[in-house]
Amino acid sequence: MRIEISGLVKTYKGKGRALDGLDLLVPTGMFGLLGANGAGKTTLMRILAGLLRPTGGEVRIGGYDVTGRAGRQAVQRVLGYLPQDLGVYPDLSAREFLDYVGLLKGIDDRATRRRRVGELLEVVALTGDADRRLRGYSGGMRRRVGIAQALLADPRLLIVDEPTAGLDPEERIRFRTLLSQLAGERTVLLSTHIVDDVAQTCRELAVLAKGRLVFRGTVDDLTRRADRRVWSVVTAGPAPTGGTVVSALPVEGGLRYRVVASVPPAPDAEPLAPTLEDGYLALAQPGAAEDAMRP
Amino acid sequence: MRPTDLWRYEVRRAGWAALLTPPVATAALLLLALLDGGDDTDRTLLAALEMVLPLAAGVGAASLVGRDPAVELQLTVPTSYRSTLLRRLAVTLGWAALLAVLVAGILLATGGMPQERGALSGQLVWLAPTVWLGGLGFLAGAAFRSPAAAGGLVTTWWIVQQVFPGLLQGRDWSRTLYLFETTRGAVPEGWAANRLTLVATALVLAGLGWALLGRAERLLREEAE
Amino acid sequence: MTAAFVYEFRMQARKRSMWIANGVIVALLGLLTANLLTDALDEPSAKVAMTSGAFLVNLILPVVYGCFLADRLVRDDKLGVAPILDATPASTAGRLSGKYLGSCAAAAVPLAIIYFGFAVLYAATAGHPVALAWAAALFAVVILPAVLFVGAFALVVPLLIPAPLFRVLFVGYWFWGNSIHPTLMPTLSQSLISPIGPYPLQELFGYGGPGGDVVLAGPVDDATLNFLRPAATAATAWLSIGVLLAVAALVLSAAPALRARTTR
Repeated sequence: MRIEISGLVKTYKGKGRALDGLDLLVPTGMFGLLGANGAGKTTLMRILAGLLRPTGGEVRIGGYDVTGRAGRQAVQRVLGYLPQDLGVYPDLSAREFLDYVGLLKGIDDRATRRRRVGELLEVVALTGDADRRLRGYSGGMRRRVGIAQALLADPRLLIVDEPTAGLDPEERIRFRTLLSQLAGERTVLLSTHIVDDVAQTCRELAVLAKGRLVFRGTVDDLTRRADRRVWSVVTAGPAPTGGTVVSALPVEGGLRYRVVASVPPAPDAEPLAPTLEDGYLALAQPGAAEDAMRP
Repeated sequence: MRPTDLWRYEVRRAGWAALLTPPVATAALLLLALLDGGDDTDRTLLAALEMVLPLAAGVGAASLVGRDPAVELQLTVPTSYRSTLLRRLAVTLGWAALLAVLVAGILLATGGMPQERGALSGQLVWLAPTVWLGGLGFLAGAAFRSPAAAGGLVTTWWIVQQVFPGLLQGRDWSRTLYLFETTRGAVPEGWAANRLTLVATALVLAGLGWALLGRAERLLREEAE
Repeated sequence: MTAAFVYEFRMQARKRSMWIANGVIVALLGLLTANLLTDALDEPSAKVAMTSGAFLVNLILPVVYGCFLADRLVRDDKLGVAPILDATPASTAGRLSGKYLGSCAAAAVPLAIIYFGFAVLYAATAGHPVALAWAAALFAVVILPAVLFVGAFALVVPLLIPAPLFRVLFVGYWFWGNSIHPTLMPTLSQSLISPIGPYPLQELFGYGGPGGDVVLAGPVDDATLNFLRPAATAATAWLSIGVLLAVAALVLSAAPALRARTTR
C-alpha cells in the first residue's frame, strides 16, 4: 500500500502547526520516520491511522482518501496500529485483551480468533503469561501485547509509533527482526527517535523537523550526509565546540570525542567513517539540509 | 448482529461499578425503610423504581466516556468507538431495566403499583426517568468527557427535582419534564403526556450525544486534570 | 503541604469540564428560579437575602462539588503517580492535607463565584454594601464547613467503593440527610451533623426557611435520632460546626490506611 501525502497541514488550537505543508511518498515495504520529540511524527501517525483530521492537504493510502470518513474506514480495515502509549484494560488477561481487540477488528468467528491469538502470543513470546491479568505486566510485556494486537487482523498497513521504547536489548532486536519479516507485501511505517532501529531495519526513511520534511531517501543517502564531517578528538580539556558531540569515551589522556562538524573541530582531529546517526545529526547543521533543523 | 462474545466483553468493561450501583442504591433505600419500621414497603419500592434506579442508570451512563485507557486503539479499529459506547450504554441501562422490571413485577403482584397503571403502562414509571437520565448522562459524558462533570450534572438535576418539585411542576412546559410524576406528581391527568415527553426528549439527548461522539479528535484530546 | 495544595488547586481549576458543567447547572437553575431570584433581590434586609442565598447554595451545589472530587485520590493510584509522590520527602499526612485542601478549594471556586456573584448583584441593586460582609460571614460559617465535610467523604469513600456508586449514594444521602423532614423517617436533617448548617443558619443568622416561619434546627416531636438534635442555641450552632469539622478530620485520617489497602 502506497501512502501519498501532499501539502499536509495540521494545526492544534493554541499550539500552532504540528505539520506544516508536508509532502511525502511512502512505498510498500519497511519505511522509517525519524525526528526529534515534537517534530510532528505522532501527529502524522495519528492522521494516517484516522485518529486526527488534517487541517489541510491530501493523504491517500492505497488509493483511499483518509480525509473522508469512507476512506478512513476502508484504511482502518487493513490497519495495524501500535500507539506510542498503548493503554490496556488491566482487568483482562493478555489472551482476553487480544480476543476483544480481535472482535473489534471484525474477526467474528471464535475459532479463527482463538487460533490467531494463540499464534500471536507465541510470536511475542507471551504464551506462558497469556492468562495473567495485564495489571501485573511489565512495560516491556505490555509493549509485546501491543505488537500482537497490531498484527491481529493480518494488516496490510502497519503503523508503529516508538515501538521499542521500554523493551530490553534482546526484545528490541527480536521485535526489529519481526517487523522486517512482516514487511515484504505490507507497508510498515516505523516512527522512532532511536536511529539504530531504523538503521537496522529500513532501506528508506524520512526525517521530520518542526512539522516539515527535511530529508527523504535511503539509509545510505542519509549516512553520506555526514561524509567528511565526522571527527575523533582526544582531549583532557573542555569538549570541542563548533559541532555536535555524538559520544565521549574515557581513554588514556582524557576523553575521546566523536564529533559531527563541517570543519575539523581541532587541529589534530582525525576523520572517521560516518554512521546513520552521524548523518541524522549532520542534517541539523547549516548547509547539510535544504531546511534548518534544530533538535 | 455482532457476536455475543463482544457483548460479554462490554459487560466486563462496564465493570462491577456499573453492575453494583443500581442494586446497592435500591438496597440502601430499602434499608432506610426498614429502619423506619418497614410499614410502607410498597411506597419505598415505588420510590426506588422511579427515583433510585433511574439515578443509578443516569450516573452509569455519565461514566462511559473519558476513562477508557485504550481509547486510542479503540478509535483505530473498524468497529466504530461510538457504537462500542452505545453497546456499553445498552449494558448499563439494560441492567437497570432488568432490575426495574423485577421491582415493577413485585409492585404489580402486591398491589403496590398505583391503581390506574397496568402491567404495561406501569413500566413507564421507571422507563421514562431511566432513559431520560440515561440520555442526559450520555450526552453530558460526550460533551464533557469527564465522568465527574457529567455525573455532577445528572445528580444535580435529580436533586433539584427532589428539593424543588414546585419549580418544574409550576409551568406546563416544564411539568412534562418532571421525572417523578408518579410518586410526586401534582397533576395526575398529565401523567401519560409527561412519560411520553420524557421518552421522546431522552431520544433527542442520546442523539445529540451520538452526534458529539462522531469526532474522534475530541475523544482523543486529554482533559487537563 | 503547600506544594501539594498549589498543585492540586491548579490541576482541578484547569479542568475545563468543571467550569462548563457548573455553567450549565447555573444556567438551568437560573432559568428555573428566575422569579425566586428577583424576589431575593427585592428583599429589604441584606442579612435575610444573604442567608437565604447561602441556604439555597448549600442545599444544591455541594452535590456537584462532591461529584467532582469523587475520584481525586483514586486517580493518583490509577495513574501510577502515587509511588512517585510517596518517594518525595513531604510527609504523607502533609501531602494528603495539601491535596484535600487544594482540591476542596478549587472545587469550591465556582460555588464561591456563584454565591459572591449573587451578593455583589444584591449589594449593587439594593444599595446595601453590607450584604458583602454578611456574605463573607455566611460563607465562612455555613458554606465552608459543608465544603470541608463533603470534601473529606468525597475523597476517602471512593477508596472503598467505585466513584459512580459513591456519586449515586452521595446524592441520595444528601437528599435524605438534609431535606427530608425528621418525622417522615429516621434522618440526619435538622441535626448537628446536617452539613447544610441548620443550626448556624437559624441561631447565628436568624434564618427561618424560605417563608421565614420554619424551624430548621433542634428536637422534633415524634422524630427518631433526636439525641443528635439538642436545643438550638448559639452554643450548639458552634458545636455543630465543630462536629462537622471533626467528622471531616476523622474521615480523612482513615485515608492513608485505606490507600495502603487499595494499592497493595
